[in-house]
Amino acid sequence: MTQNKPLLEVRNLHTEFHVEKRIAKAVGGVSFDLNAGEVLGIVGESGSGKSVTSLSILRLIPDPPGKITEGEILYGGRDLLKLSYEQMREIRGREIAMIFQEPMTSLNPVFTIEKQVTEPVLLHEKLNRKDAIERAVEVLSAVGIPDARRRLKDYPHQFSGGMRQRVMIAMALICRPAILIADEPTTALDVTIQAQILELMQKLQGEREGSSILLITHDLSVIAEMCDRVIVMYGGLIQEIGTIRDLFGNPLHPYTRGLLASIPREENKGKKLYAIPGNVPSIFDFPSGCKFCSRCEHVQDRCREEAPELRELAKGHLVRCHFAEELS
Amino acid sequence: MIPTFLGITLLVFTITRFVPGGPIDRLMMEMSMSGSGEAGGGGGSAESSVDLPPGALDSLKEHYHLDKPMIHAYFLWLGDLLTLDLGKSFKYNIPVLELITKRFPVSMYFGLIGFALAYSVCVPLGVAKAIRHGSHFDFGSSFLVFLGYSIPGWALGLLLLLLFGAELEWFPLGGFRSSSWEQLSFFGRIGDQIEHTFLPVIAYAAGSFASLTILMKNSLMENLGQDYIRTAFAKGVPSRRVIFSHALRNSLIPICTGLGHAIGIVMAGSYLIEKVFNIDGIGYLGFTSIMDRDYAVVMGILVINTGLILLGNILSDVLYVLVDPRIRFS
Repeated sequence: MTQNKPLLEVRNLHTEFHVEKRIAKAVGGVSFDLNAGEVLGIVGESGSGKSVTSLSILRLIPDPPGKITEGEILYGGRDLLKLSYEQMREIRGREIAMIFQEPMTSLNPVFTIEKQVTEPVLLHEKLNRKDAIERAVEVLSAVGIPDARRRLKDYPHQFSGGMRQRVMIAMALICRPAILIADEPTTALDVTIQAQILELMQKLQGEREGSSILLITHDLSVIAEMCDRVIVMYGGLIQEIGTIRDLFGNPLHPYTRGLLASIPREENKGKKLYAIPGNVPSIFDFPSGCKFCSRCEHVQDRCREEAPELRELAKGHLVRCHFAEELS
Repeated sequence: MIPTFLGITLLVFTITRFVPGGPIDRLMMEMSMSGSGEAGGGGGSAESSVDLPPGALDSLKEHYHLDKPMIHAYFLWLGDLLTLDLGKSFKYNIPVLELITKRFPVSMYFGLIGFALAYSVCVPLGVAKAIRHGSHFDFGSSFLVFLGYSIPGWALGLLLLLLFGAELEWFPLGGFRSSSWEQLSFFGRIGDQIEHTFLPVIAYAAGSFASLTILMKNSLMENLGQDYIRTAFAKGVPSRRVIFSHALRNSLIPICTGLGHAIGIVMAGSYLIEKVFNIDGIGYLGFTSIMDRDYAVVMGILVINTGLILLGNILSDVLYVLVDPRIRFS
């Protein structure tokens, strides 16, 4: 994408949860860069650690029971994990904004749209109310809410799911953040609405130069449509990173291949859809070697004993598998 | 609303007709007892009741509509009610309405102050407990409120009276005001009233602390776990504001709607506490009127209490609409 320094650098991030005296390692050493102007996708099944990774960046992990135990998250030359609460608060919503999976419950039911959408600019930019309302109308119109000015006085329950997600996006973008983290933004929506929301995010990202999106999803078709690069996560670790072309054209990890094979395709019509065998183990039961070895079709003894490292096989294309070369 | 009112009054009216020992029996018994008392206490034979001329008995029955079929009598009573005529007390022989209106403000005074005290203590306490969930403060305050919950109000009242009234002599031994009230200066009156209010109000409110505090705490904690709280944090809202604006507003919804229900119950007074503190309120009147089979008073108090509770329910609904934008009158 760009030769400049990355906008956000995540280095060796570890996030744990203490559940009934046991420690659940949800994220066990994740490192990646988010470059200016790109859309970076994180894909994985439920329990792969993708949401925890995204919440960790904004330090939104509920503590207790969660805790970020190790790592650095560098943004603008500062480590977000070392900032004071107040400094972190100034980053949230202003520099890095986030939208969530559940538009139905992510808005406060007893506050008007006006109050919720203007809140970030009132807090961060100290605008007066009148200017804040103008900004809100502008941004709500931009996300495609018809008659935005009149709808400011409405409450969330007066909006449909798709409209609420638009409100969420408007609220996230009102301070023009450098990074938008979108955690499964379309999962709860109808397919037609999904496409509109994704298009909208793309359009708005294009409007501000150098702004980036970190898109978390389990839906590879969303990744294919939106992203420049993709991270594939499994068991709290990055299994493969590459450009969209690398990943869809030349997947290296057996897990990535499994994911790709389980997308329904025209040429497989009438045949049984492929599914990766087994289920994601409970967070306490992941094997000690390669996290994926309990479900991998090409598993060898070495996989069960020795945890593979993330290796760069081609420029910008990294994979965590002992046998990636042989298998491809 | 109106069917509820009719149902309640009809039910109680029916019961008053079927329980043994009606007002006439009572009256005759009293007459015979006072009669024999005048005679020098010799041989209290209840036979004297038959001395009443039969015509007088019938006219008495007619006066109280006791000669009519029950349903007929009920509608007569209901008709009187529409003209705000609640009848006359059998016992005191003065209009029921007068009897009630004289005592009602006294009960309401204690009830409302207790109610205000409960809300002004429980809401902040519940919030503080939710924020410091699991701390020593949380456990300690839970212990105290449940202690209050497990002691009946009148028993606590007795204890308080014994300790602070009789033993330490900090507070008067009950009553609504001092007998010397009329002679007191303005500030003296205020002081006197406060002295007489303190202990009964604690007895009134102590039992309601637990449920209200825990309701507040749980409601706030539940709301703090909601998705929109995470959204607020993600926007960079300071945590104080997340708690006291975003979460609290939502968690006050059940508290507000309970307010209407509680107010109806609270204003009705409490017999036992009024008895312990020697307060001549509506709770005490209600209890004695049942014991005396003074049915006009029983029904009168029932009308007032039912009306209050129904009004409280309406108030709850109105509050619901005010605090929760998702609810609208249709």
